[in-house]
Amino acid sequence: MNRALLYLWWTLLRRRCLCFCRGLRRPPTLIACLWALGMAGGLFYYRGNEAFGRLIRRDVLAGAILIMILGSIIKGFLQRGLAFEPPDIEFVFTSPFTQRQILLYRLLPQYLYAAIQGVVFAAWFAPHLRHPVLAAGCVTLFQVACFHLAMAAAVWGGAVSDRLHYRLRWMMLGTCFVLTALYFRVAWEVDFVPACLHSPLVQLAFYPAMTPSDVTTSAWLMGWLAGLARTGDVLAPTFLEPASWLAGFGLAAALSLWGLLRLKASVFEPALGTTTRRAEARLRAVEGRAGVAAVAHARSARLPRFPLFQGVGALVWRNLMAVRRSRKDLLAAFAFVGIYSTILIALLWKFHQYVARAPVNLGSDAPEVSLSFHLGVAIFIAALAFFLQRLFPFDFRRDGNHVVGFRTLPVSPLALVLAEVSVPTFLVLVSQAVGLVALLIFGRFPWPMLPPLLLSYPAVALALNSVWNLHYLLTAARQAAGRAEAASPVGTLMVVIFSFLVFFPAIWTAQRLCHFVSGPQALPLAITTGLAIQIGIDVLMILALAGLFQRFEVSRDTRANAL
Amino acid sequence: MSPITIETAPPAPSHPPPPTSLFAKLTNVLAYPGDVFAEVASAPPRLRNILIPTLLVGVAGVMAAGATGGDDPAAAAVAATGTAAANVVIAARLRLLSALVTLLAVFIGTGWSALVLWGIGRVFLKVRFSYWKAMEVVALTGGIVILGTVFAALLGILTDDADARPALSLLVGRLPADHAVRLAFGVFNLFHVWATAVLAIGLSKLSGGSFKESAFWVFGYWLLVKLALVMLA
Repeated sequence: MNRALLYLWWTLLRRRCLCFCRGLRRPPTLIACLWALGMAGGLFYYRGNEAFGRLIRRDVLAGAILIMILGSIIKGFLQRGLAFEPPDIEFVFTSPFTQRQILLYRLLPQYLYAAIQGVVFAAWFAPHLRHPVLAAGCVTLFQVACFHLAMAAAVWGGAVSDRLHYRLRWMMLGTCFVLTALYFRVAWEVDFVPACLHSPLVQLAFYPAMTPSDVTTSAWLMGWLAGLARTGDVLAPTFLEPASWLAGFGLAAALSLWGLLRLKASVFEPALGTTTRRAEARLRAVEGRAGVAAVAHARSARLPRFPLFQGVGALVWRNLMAVRRSRKDLLAAFAFVGIYSTILIALLWKFHQYVARAPVNLGSDAPEVSLSFHLGVAIFIAALAFFLQRLFPFDFRRDGNHVVGFRTLPVSPLALVLAEVSVPTFLVLVSQAVGLVALLIFGRFPWPMLPPLLLSYPAVALALNSVWNLHYLLTAARQAAGRAEAASPVGTLMVVIFSFLVFFPAIWTAQRLCHFVSGPQALPLAITTGLAIQIGIDVLMILALAGLFQRFEVSRDTRANAL
Repeated sequence: MSPITIETAPPAPSHPPPPTSLFAKLTNVLAYPGDVFAEVASAPPRLRNILIPTLLVGVAGVMAAGATGGDDPAAAAVAATGTAAANVVIAARLRLLSALVTLLAVFIGTGWSALVLWGIGRVFLKVRFSYWKAMEVVALTGGIVILGTVFAALLGILTDDADARPALSLLVGRLPADHAVRLAFGVFNLFHVWATAVLAIGLSKLSGGSFKESAFWVFGYWLLVKLALVMLA
């Protein structure tokens, strides 16, 4: 070892230590360091525990040795050449040092690491070792040997050709897999190879390195053949039926593919048009202009005279115009409501039939069961709001591009937010009403349940619309500042979770009240209280939306946009 | 690392080797496999070069099974049922079915091994060659399999042990047939190693690469994977 290199290493080490100590002034580094020290101290404190003893059992140590040796070789081989610090290349490589001296210089930090590792090993495992000092020495030397292996593999890997390196990588992968599987088989009795691969039939995969007569030594095959020989039916029904099903569907798939591939029609020209249309629609959806193409062909409408549509109400009128021009969306929504309601009506019919035919089964619980069932149906109708909200994009979703303009309007943020949220909420309520009326008429839904439902559905619809508009407004604000594209899946998932959580306080309170209050007044009280809490939350959500809109700084964001 | 590109199979030499008969190919593969496979690589694929050797291997396998008491499991399987006459009929059927299965197995094995050979060429050696040529190479290697099957049958008769094979397992013949050591030693069968080496020559001729590289992959699959499966059993 050259003394100059030794001095260089020592100086660099000292500087690194000083830099590290200086780095502790930064809270994240300090916290990380304290955490690591705490972990090490905790392990040292519990070093007498038998879990530590298990860690140095012979089979575990054999696994660790295997991992370290294989890991060292693979790491070095994949590295292909030694990695030095850039200044080393400039100063050490150009100085009159031999290759051996440079290798030792590169190994010095690793030797230090190995020594520290040996000390830590002895400190943690001393109570379970007969000769802790000897064990620490062995660990240190083994680690040193691993470093040597890694370095040798790196030097050799850098010298071989690309083709040989590629081939050897595969060989190493295979060897590692086999050695690992062997270790688990011997030490832990875990067999990674499925039992079917031990059958003589598998020898077929190694033809011609096999003896053909060995195939019939398979016990399973001989048993099957003996069964066939006894019945005389070569294609036994147990085999024939599944095989015929499989063959039938396979034939269908093959025939359909054959027909598809034999089509003479051109694929490219129609595909160009479809792809362009899809891409434009996707772009419009990302920019919040989903219905722009349809609106472009619509006729102009007269300005409203109704006082409600004056001032900020003009936004409501404009959104209603967008609704009128989005007939496809409306039709899709009402078709969905129709299908949803039909299923619920069918459920109610079946329930009424069941109650009429078997009142004895229900006994005295009949009124309670009936109430629970109808409450469930009512909740299902309320749940329509979750789906419908996404189908009526007449709020901040479409107006994302105009938020900067809205901020300059002489209207209060609260009024503007209410105007934006009102149209989708109204449409959701209309759809729910359609479903509810259908249930009342065709499903014999009990009329006395109607008043609480009429009060609760607006609260549900408003809460959902507020939650989603919060998300749309934040997205629009980011887009206006030029900082965001489409919403991420994680963000959307969080909004979905939040749209469920927004009902949690009301439901929790209603449940607790039902639990604590007994008697006929329990349910009305619970519903009323839950409803009141939900309305309170809705108000808070609307105020939060208005506050967020108010905090939207036009000057700053437009400047950012301009930049 | 420079990119590794897929090449096509080497062009046919300007003076292709003179065509030989199938019988000559089957015998030459024992002594001059390089010449046989050079001819296969330069000529268009022929179905008879695949079907006839594979069929011969199957027939040899069926005959070897009969000669070394291959009907013992059949007799054991049907002994418990029916009358003696019925048992005779069932045993005859079972022998026929075993023979059919052996024939089928040889064809499946040929197809699979050709696929492995073709896959090695395509994935690891980055060379394209026809799957049917790989089939031809595997099928013609059947000449060695026939010899090995006959040799194993004779050895079985000689030692009165149906599991006796011309392999290192002969050294541990006292161990039971399913013992791990005997199975592991059984992998080093003289004829299996020979057939594998011939396959490696075939792959090198088809791919136009060196024998060393082909042998690396072929022995890796046909010998080491087999050994690993035995050791992990």
